[in-house]
Amino acid sequence: MGSSNTALSDDDSATVTKTDSDSDSATETDEEICNRYDTCLFREDEKVLAYHSRFIYLAKVLKCEKRSNGWHYFVHYLGWKKNWDEWVGVDRLMKFTEENLQKQEAINKKLKEERKGEFRTSKRGTSLVSMRHPKGSRGKKRNSDSICKDKQTVPSDSSEKLVNIRIPLTLKKHLINDCEFITHLGKLFILPRTPSVEDILKMYLDYRYKKDNIMASSCNAVREIFKGICAYFNKALPVILLYKSERKQYRCIITEDLRPSMVYGAEHLLRLFVKLPELLMRADIEQKTLLELQKNLVDFLKFLQKNQNALFRSIYHVEDVETSTSKPDI
Amino acid sequence: MEGGKDKEDEQDGVSVHSPCKAPPSSASSLPKFFAGEQQEVELELRLLEALEIYPPVKLRGMHRHFVLYGLMEFLQKSLDRQFSPDEVLQLLDRFYNLEVLKPDDEEIDILNHEEDLLATKLFCQEEP
Repeated sequence: MGSSNTALSDDDSATVTKTDSDSDSATETDEEICNRYDTCLFREDEKVLAYHSRFIYLAKVLKCEKRSNGWHYFVHYLGWKKNWDEWVGVDRLMKFTEENLQKQEAINKKLKEERKGEFRTSKRGTSLVSMRHPKGSRGKKRNSDSICKDKQTVPSDSSEKLVNIRIPLTLKKHLINDCEFITHLGKLFILPRTPSVEDILKMYLDYRYKKDNIMASSCNAVREIFKGICAYFNKALPVILLYKSERKQYRCIITEDLRPSMVYGAEHLLRLFVKLPELLMRADIEQKTLLELQKNLVDFLKFLQKNQNALFRSIYHVEDVETSTSKPDI
Repeated sequence: MEGGKDKEDEQDGVSVHSPCKAPPSSASSLPKFFAGEQQEVELELRLLEALEIYPPVKLRGMHRHFVLYGLMEFLQKSLDRQFSPDEVLQLLDRFYNLEVLKPDDEEIDILNHEEDLLATKLFCQEEP
């Protein structure tokens, strides 16, 4: 994995670019400083971590602009109203990496403790703004117009808002292999896949009934969670879960009567789990309930891992994008 | 709620479409009635408390199952019994006509434009 301060490339490379945050280095050279200002380090639609009022927020780059004093980026703070969107310089931004997320958690935690006496806690156990929207809710900016813009408020960590769903390494390998075959070798999965996403979710629910030794009617909560997963999958697949070369196939196969969850399989479902924390953030679930939810989702991933031979393709029997003929590949 | 408006006045915060139903009463069992009514009131209060966290409008969008799950969990913890999704929806039906609620605008914001999957986005938390 290379380390790079340049903008992420468009080439769908399977290699991961883990970017060091050079702005934190005490030994930055003049050249490195120049590069930081003169190179477009973040791209449009990239998820980033952004400083604001000493706290660090999860944000998304909407626009990039080269100015005389370096590249500037128009960011939207995820989970906050659009009126907070603003132009920032590179010094306010960090790459969205595990390392920086940990840094964010540490800094926000430290700042919260400093301000502990000034705020009361919300129902959800996170610090609230001093002025609340009458409806209560999470006390986030999006619900309160009365909050002053200088952000005296204490936000939840972006990492706290995001439910932590760690994908097991053996499943990650499927993601990597798919990427290789689809984006580099021009292959596609033959659709419809068996088992489909709906089949897999049903298998999991059956497994849970047996494992937990409870009546089907008592499994309401688990059933509702996985109905939710299915709904997310059907909504998200065509929008954010397909490689470019898979889009044509999608348009050919999906009809009004044929949902993605009936056609696609474990490989695409797994991609949803990468995006799931961000999607769930919008559902605004209570922290305690979110932890319960997380347990169920992690258990589901273990189920996928345990049964991966049956659920995932080990031999790539895929269609060629160009020729559309079925060819077994090893 | 279909069936027209009762003689009951509309309560504050209640949709024009869904007047509250009066709880059943029996002239011959007043103590039971009061105990039953108290339970009803408790239930409705907890539900309204839950709705402060989980706005009904979110039950129309893509998050509806998770929001319903949140409501189920909240009620279970508050009232110490299981609630099925249908039970929760029936309870909500006393206050809201969910069918006329429009989905939240924010939902349109999340998945509002197509984005090709990129390996770099997929694996941004990959270990080296």
